Amino acid sequence: MARFHSIERQRHIIDFTLASLLRRAGKNSSLLFVYTLIIFVLASVILFTDALKRQAAQVLKDAPEIIVQRTMTGRYQTIPLSYAAKIREIRGVASVRPRLWGYYYDGNSMANYTLVVPGEDAPMPGSISIGSGISRLREAYRGDILGFTGFDGKPLSFQVASVLHPESQLASADLILISEPDYRALSGIPADQTSDLVLKVRNPREYSTIAEKIVKLLPDTRPIVRSEILRTYDAVFNWRSGMVLVVYSAAVLAFIIFAWDKATGLSAEERKEIGILKAIGWETGDILFMKFWEGIAVSLTASLLGLVLAYLHVFLGDSLLFLPALKGWSTLYPSFHLAPFIRGSHVVVLMFLTVVPYTLSTIVPSWRAATIDPDAVMR
Amino acid sequence: MVLRASTAFFACIGILSLAWLLILADGELRWTALQPEIERTAALVKRLELTDLCLFTEASYTRHLALADRHTPFQDDPMSLEHFPSGSLAGPPEHLRTHHGTISFH
Amino acid sequence: MIRVTEVTKTFNSGRHNEFTALSGVSAIIRPREVTVLKGPSGSGKTTLLGLMGCMARPSSGRIYLDDCEITSLPERFLTQIRRRTFGFIFQQFNLIRGVSALENVMLPAYPDGEPFGELRDRALDILERFSLAHRAQARVEWLSGGEAQRVAIARALINDPEYIIADEPTAHLDTKLSREFLEIMAGLHVAGKTIVMASHDPLVCESELATGIIEMRDGRVVSGAAQ
Repeated sequence: MARFHSIERQRHIIDFTLASLLRRAGKNSSLLFVYTLIIFVLASVILFTDALKRQAAQVLKDAPEIIVQRTMTGRYQTIPLSYAAKIREIRGVASVRPRLWGYYYDGNSMANYTLVVPGEDAPMPGSISIGSGISRLREAYRGDILGFTGFDGKPLSFQVASVLHPESQLASADLILISEPDYRALSGIPADQTSDLVLKVRNPREYSTIAEKIVKLLPDTRPIVRSEILRTYDAVFNWRSGMVLVVYSAAVLAFIIFAWDKATGLSAEERKEIGILKAIGWETGDILFMKFWEGIAVSLTASLLGLVLAYLHVFLGDSLLFLPALKGWSTLYPSFHLAPFIRGSHVVVLMFLTVVPYTLSTIVPSWRAATIDPDAVMR
Repeated sequence: MVLRASTAFFACIGILSLAWLLILADGELRWTALQPEIERTAALVKRLELTDLCLFTEASYTRHLALADRHTPFQDDPMSLEHFPSGSLAGPPEHLRTHHGTISFH
Repeated sequence: MIRVTEVTKTFNSGRHNEFTALSGVSAIIRPREVTVLKGPSGSGKTTLLGLMGCMARPSSGRIYLDDCEITSLPERFLTQIRRRTFGFIFQQFNLIRGVSALENVMLPAYPDGEPFGELRDRALDILERFSLAHRAQARVEWLSGGEAQRVAIARALINDPEYIIADEPTAHLDTKLSREFLEIMAGLHVAGKTIVMASHDPLVCESELATGIIEMRDGRVVSGAAQ
């Protein structure tokens, strides 16, 4: 019975707290709206980045084990095929294969394509396979001819043999698969050079050792290891990156403003009301619970609502609102389905940080007022 | 029957919590449904020996994040700042921060 | 019965604005009587009222409520006893603005966690008794002076307390409303309630209603202490 009594007591307090909030309906609903909006934006960023990082890790899990580039004056250059022979002799290296690829800037569409010569099953000379993004952009389909300008200014054209499946857009939207002779003719890369080398290693734990050996052997090379590739994508949208930092800072500032508003103490009217409540029989605990519920009513509702809307926005709405930021100046953007991956710890931390400080800033300043003597209102 | 404010509040929180449970379920379903697609994309990455996702096709160092070198962003001048918006989303790639045991100026 | 024995109340003790509101006050409030604390402002009657109504503790001395000493009880028990034993009517009504008359009446009962339905029905009954049931949902600031007065009295009655304590109830009322107030008090007296009022309004002090008068001046009882 005592337990029901205390539940009923809390419900009574909540009734009054909400009636009290409704008195300033305009102000409080704007507060709720803005609070929800901020959490919506924050949660959208968190849900999007967590899911994208997970998806990147999945998609790139079988990326090349080690890539070897050559650099000169700090920029990467083509690498001589003779380097491959030398690297092949390093103990632990299972195979070394040249990789031929590069960029092509299409001035008419202002798009950057990535041309790749596949190691196996390359297209026949004269034909190419294009990514679905390019297909969409140029409205080019199987059988169409696409024209390019070679390194020497000479025009070259190829027929589209196939369009890569749109489902793999995340990795292939801007790819053009091309045969080796065609690519060398287009790019001007000499026959004894290649873009970089791909290594297969017998023991994955040897990556670092082998990378070190390569650098010692060929000081002008730079090896890149698979774990580094994966970690790069883990760091995308890091909190320190420009835009994300701005979003987080804005949210923190907004919360500080809300808390400040509460923390600067109660108005004389609020203090008087607490005095009246105490005079008619409310205890200090009741007053503090009232303030607690006042904080929770706004912050909990805003958090839950913001999170729900964020999920809908990111996974059902394909992050519509972030699209302009993500696209930047690129004209080729993959439209892909982001698989929902919610990192529980991030959601919990977000909820904690949005609910607890605000609620505390509602309760703490009222502490003093809550403990005044009941007879104060008579004096 | 009079609707108490506290009842309305609990109902609200209840509905939102329920929405969350539905979302978690939806997430699971969606995730599972997309796995085959993701697997096939991973297979493509393996076949073509790709190293990056084509998220940011604006510039070479944003397109191939994992392979970027230090200097391409500063093509014109070491002091020149981000040309491309995507650059402000993606931080410097991991391999520029580790040097395989040697201090190098590459 | 309330028994006050040699009670002293000092505010801001030890500081430069130390002020003694009551010194060595003793008084007895008998059940079912209407006692008026009479005296000019500053005489300490409001302070004494607050001490009798378990709103504050005396600096020294003892207070007994039905032979139970309440001066040394912890705050929680004191508040519980106060809620159930006393109903307060303040000088300026002190109703909570922006909230309905009905909710105002129910407020003193909230901490006791009574089931909502029962509490609401009881509150509506009391308002009905004062012919205010049709104004139950009205915000208090929309009520007329007389209606607000009756809501304030209704609020004091929600916990069916034995004692009604009123502090200068007619101070801001015109004659008509003052008489109405005294009529309501008379009705409550007949119903068996004990009433204690602090006032320096002749209308109150000289009414037939008052069965006992305790005169106070400068924090001391001048006459009528034990009756």
